[in-house]
Amino acid sequence: MDERLTSGDEGLDEILGGGLPVNGINLVIGLPGSGKTMLSEQFVFAGATEERPALYLSTVSEPFEKILRYGQTLSFFDRDAIGRSVYYEDLGDTVAGAGGLSAVTERIALLTKQRRPGIIAIDSFKALAAFAEDAQTFRSFLHDLAALLTAFPVTSFWIGEYSEEEMRTAPEAAVADGIISLEMQRANERAQRLIQVIKLRGSEFRSGRHGYRLSGDGITVFPRLADPLSQEVYGLSEDRISTGIPPLDTMLAQGYGKGSSTLVAGSSGAGKTLMGLHFIFNGVAIGQPGVIATLQENPVQLQRMARGFGWSLDDEGVSVMYRSPNDVYIDEWVYELLDLVEATGATRVLIDSLSDLHYAATDPVRFREFIYSLTQRLSHAGISPIMTSEVPDLFHVGRLAEYGISHLSDNVVLLQYVRLDSRLLRTVTVVKSRASAHDPEIREFGITSDGIVLGDPIGDENVLG
Amino acid sequence: MLGIPAATIRNWEERYATIVPERSPGGHRLYSRDQVEQLRFIATEVTRGLSASDAHRLLSDQGEAGRPLARQGSSDRTRLLVLLAERDPAAADLVQFFLRTEGYEVTLALAVDEAEEQWLETRPELAIVELMIDGGVGAELCRRLKQHEANAVIAISALEARDEALAAGADAFLQKPLDPLELISTVKDLAGTSALVGHRTQESR
Repeated sequence: MDERLTSGDEGLDEILGGGLPVNGINLVIGLPGSGKTMLSEQFVFAGATEERPALYLSTVSEPFEKILRYGQTLSFFDRDAIGRSVYYEDLGDTVAGAGGLSAVTERIALLTKQRRPGIIAIDSFKALAAFAEDAQTFRSFLHDLAALLTAFPVTSFWIGEYSEEEMRTAPEAAVADGIISLEMQRANERAQRLIQVIKLRGSEFRSGRHGYRLSGDGITVFPRLADPLSQEVYGLSEDRISTGIPPLDTMLAQGYGKGSSTLVAGSSGAGKTLMGLHFIFNGVAIGQPGVIATLQENPVQLQRMARGFGWSLDDEGVSVMYRSPNDVYIDEWVYELLDLVEATGATRVLIDSLSDLHYAATDPVRFREFIYSLTQRLSHAGISPIMTSEVPDLFHVGRLAEYGISHLSDNVVLLQYVRLDSRLLRTVTVVKSRASAHDPEIREFGITSDGIVLGDPIGDENVLG
Repeated sequence: MLGIPAATIRNWEERYATIVPERSPGGHRLYSRDQVEQLRFIATEVTRGLSASDAHRLLSDQGEAGRPLARQGSSDRTRLLVLLAERDPAAADLVQFFLRTEGYEVTLALAVDEAEEQWLETRPELAIVELMIDGGVGAELCRRLKQHEANAVIAISALEARDEALAAGADAFLQKPLDPLELISTVKDLAGTSALVGHRTQESR
């Protein structure tokens, strides 16, 4: 009985607990432009067969012609399927005609008998309510239609511009087996599309809001990465891997633990990206592929920087994923990164920087959830991420503006400027190194053509914060 | 004819041009056997609440799909009769429709006692019993029909109740919602290959 209908999108199927349970009545709700029609058509084209075709019924607010015209611009819209496995029918005249809503039920019943559909979409369903003389007529229409759609093995989509408020009182919501809501969240002048499964009878589903994107390929859902907080100290391997800077390895008791996550915090220009590159290119030199996920420098700038230190992004084993922070959706970004890491077999990952990602995130809680889940997943796979984060203070760093990430990171390395007499020094401190001894001293470092070169420890008495 | 006023039949003929009889030299309408069956089909659909235009459209669709509508056999063959004991009108409507389009005759009972009476009176070839009928006494009806020497009983329910159904004597169990193809193939298996070539033998009456 656990048969499922696929949407053709892996992410959407995943949040539905493995596809939509068949033979249910599903409400698809959301504001205009949120992709309700697209979502339904995606199920229609993914699930229709000649034996069990799909019926797409337009009513009054969605003109038949318009649904077709926009539908054909979508990649999954298969013209050959029309009239064979997908039937578009216009109920507009029936709805507005003398027979009213009972004529609508009759017409749907007739079409059901004729076509024996596996899927029926009614777009817009909400518009039908306006044609009921009173609430009672509408309820009895709902009852009759639901009876028909229950008696026949068909999965139906009732599409409507219902608000969440309306959902609380609409009788449709009580009749429905599933409710899928498409929403928009705004923050920092950015809007993010979010999909939520509100109800799904007889099935598990992934709760909460998940990011999604609309494109010519339809709807793509990015299930929220919300891995449960792991209690186990995940395989904190005994193996150590070099930071790429030998004296720093010494400060960290022979480098970072394999699979551990490292946060490099520091003010602007302190050398955070460079420290990350050391780590990546050290790996590349010993045959451990690495991924550089950057939102800071575009590949040309990054290549110039790498060349300055004798490295090249063209080296075998280096992959760069560049996204402008202005059009990054963190949900999507995390999946792209995980895919690239998997495809390249990378064991070291540089994320430059968390500050940009935070800017791109619409919600700080989601941001932390994502970063935490991402580092957990990488760590479990024995992959070591290093993440940079900008701190606001140039001197005497008072707090790490790392959005609650530092306590989730295994290692925290702080880069800061200190004034010593009349000189400005770059310094490095290992603030934290989980499950290993570390040397907490503050050491001066310089940037030469060989990259970061560590100098002597600085005594506290010399530092003027 | 068939209890339909002549004016209505002429009206349908003019409006839908689907069932057009030949004319005798004297101008009388001469309906073929098939056309009579087609009219019977239309009349049945209309009585069941379909509009005349929908009924005609349905008729044309079935003609195109090559589905047998009217019996083509000689007059000593008649359609196989199926008793449907079902409480849900929407479900009953669909089952009746799919059986009728396959050429079966269907008699509907909405309650157990009514079903038993109809069984004894008409002796159908096959019974389809919804287990939840009359508050859930469908299994008892299966048992009683078997006691009345029913040839074949198909139990149906939204619940997975195969074991209960078979224990009560049902020959097959189908879970709702019923897939039309599965329903028809089960009915055919139990009642003989086709409703059209099957006999209703006098002995079973």
